[in-house]
Amino acid sequence: MLLSLNNINKSFGAIKVLNNVNIISERKECIGIIGPNGAGKSTLFKVISGNLKQDTGDIFFNNTNITNFNTEKRARLGISQSFQKNSLFPEMTVKESLALALTHKYNVSFNIFNSLVNNKNINTDAINIAKDIGLSDYLETKSDNLAYGLQRQLELGIAIACNPTLLLLDEPTAGMSPLETKEIIKLIKKLSINYSIILVEHDMEVIYELAKRIYVLDRGSLIFEGDQKSVKNSELVQQKYLGI
Amino acid sequence: MRAVNYNPKLRLQLLLILLSISIIANIFGSYFTRFFIAEITILSIFAISLDFIASRGGMVSLGHAMFLGIGAYSTAILSINYGISPLSSTLSTFIIGAIIGLIIGYFIVFLDGIFFIMVTLALGEMFNAWVFTSDFLGGSDGISGIIRPDFSQIGIDMNNPLTFSFYVILWLLGIYFLLTKITDAPLGRNLDAIRQNSHRISAIGGYTKAYKAIAFSLSAGIASIAGSLYVQLNGFISPELTHWTVSGEGLIMIIVGGIGSISGAILGATVVHIIQHELSNIINWWMLVIGFGFIFIVLFMQDGLWGLLERIQKKLK
Repeated sequence: MLLSLNNINKSFGAIKVLNNVNIISERKECIGIIGPNGAGKSTLFKVISGNLKQDTGDIFFNNTNITNFNTEKRARLGISQSFQKNSLFPEMTVKESLALALTHKYNVSFNIFNSLVNNKNINTDAINIAKDIGLSDYLETKSDNLAYGLQRQLELGIAIACNPTLLLLDEPTAGMSPLETKEIIKLIKKLSINYSIILVEHDMEVIYELAKRIYVLDRGSLIFEGDQKSVKNSELVQQKYLGI
Repeated sequence: MRAVNYNPKLRLQLLLILLSISIIANIFGSYFTRFFIAEITILSIFAISLDFIASRGGMVSLGHAMFLGIGAYSTAILSINYGISPLSSTLSTFIIGAIIGLIIGYFIVFLDGIFFIMVTLALGEMFNAWVFTSDFLGGSDGISGIIRPDFSQIGIDMNNPLTFSFYVILWLLGIYFLLTKITDAPLGRNLDAIRQNSHRISAIGGYTKAYKAIAFSLSAGIASIAGSLYVQLNGFISPELTHWTVSGEGLIMIIVGGIGSISGAILGATVVHIIQHELSNIINWWMLVIGFGFIFIVLFMQDGLWGLLERIQKKLK
């Protein structure tokens, strides 16, 4: 078991956003978290990444209790995330952005004497990652000048450059055209061979395409867990989420 | 906050041009010209200390004159009260400034935008008020009788403005190469990224607070060196040097030069100081002209003179 969320509760004032949520993620498994708007998906994502602190409950990652770890510490343990809204370094090129993320993988971020541009290992890795995420032709393009779909790809590239064990992907296809969505699905499929992935999505087709196991959230509570077939056949899910 | 394009080539070219001009002016200039060049060079050191934290980490300090004062007063006390040589005093002030900067930085670097500006302003004004009333630091009269380094054993007379001017230029070059090295290294690139998106640096496991504290400490140490050289140039120090308006002028210099290029900060310090000096000789309302010029740059040339140089370079290609 790689990640385990035990009895997670979170409230904002009188509103209970997460209610006794239990989730388990195995190594190199892609799991999906779905739910209608307001179900608590994004809150759960933020709790796992450390951007929000739960009120009660524990989180274990790689047999370590990370409940009180902040985002930075969790990232250093191997939990990497890509955001629903692009969160890039607008003035940096694709290569620079990837190289920057790689300084954390190679543990050289405090280095003050060697130019990052001249670091052979980092540059080779940056070029390879750019190739993996389909951005080879845009190495010297500033991330702000990339098309939206390409920015989403770079978002993923930065997340994987940190050498994660677990990738948290928050609506990776948000705002994408059908063609761009196809491309990003292909890319995530490729990544799922090497990484554990937790995917938060509202697009059911994307979830069915990628996730082996699916958790369904409704008003902060987990109402169903199963593979895509059982989710498709669940009357409760149909009723609560798909509105059928 | 916006910084200029990362362009190490132009950065070096601009430095070489400015360096050549200052060397020629120093050799062929008058006594006053040499003194003036030394003054500009010291202001440039102060400006690049501000530029470094503004562009690497997005920290705009309105209290940095405090470190200028720490450098100046430390040099005065170390050399007058304790008989430490001026060169060792300057080196010591770097360490003193950097340590104080690290302690202050540890508590304030997590603040963003206006909160960081206001806290640094408050700290600077507290220091200024303390200096004004401190008998130990000479109160409003300040301290005089500070000497320059003595290299007479190797035949160099530091009281000659020509040699002292070259001496401060050497300090500027040393600091320039240190900061460009850091800027191009992983730490500098992480600091640049923090200015652009600190949230993302946290998400990839960066030590955001530690990077910023190191940058603030280094910048404080460099500003202290500027203070130390300033007091050796003039032979005295008064509390006016620690007033927040000095930090404000430093910020104007880096905005005019273009934030984030290091060489741009030197260019900004040079241009602003020359204009200030020349205009004040001609008209009484020179500050009004400087003010309008500054507003023009903020509104229409946010990359400052650096941006202008980049555009010229592109047209020439």
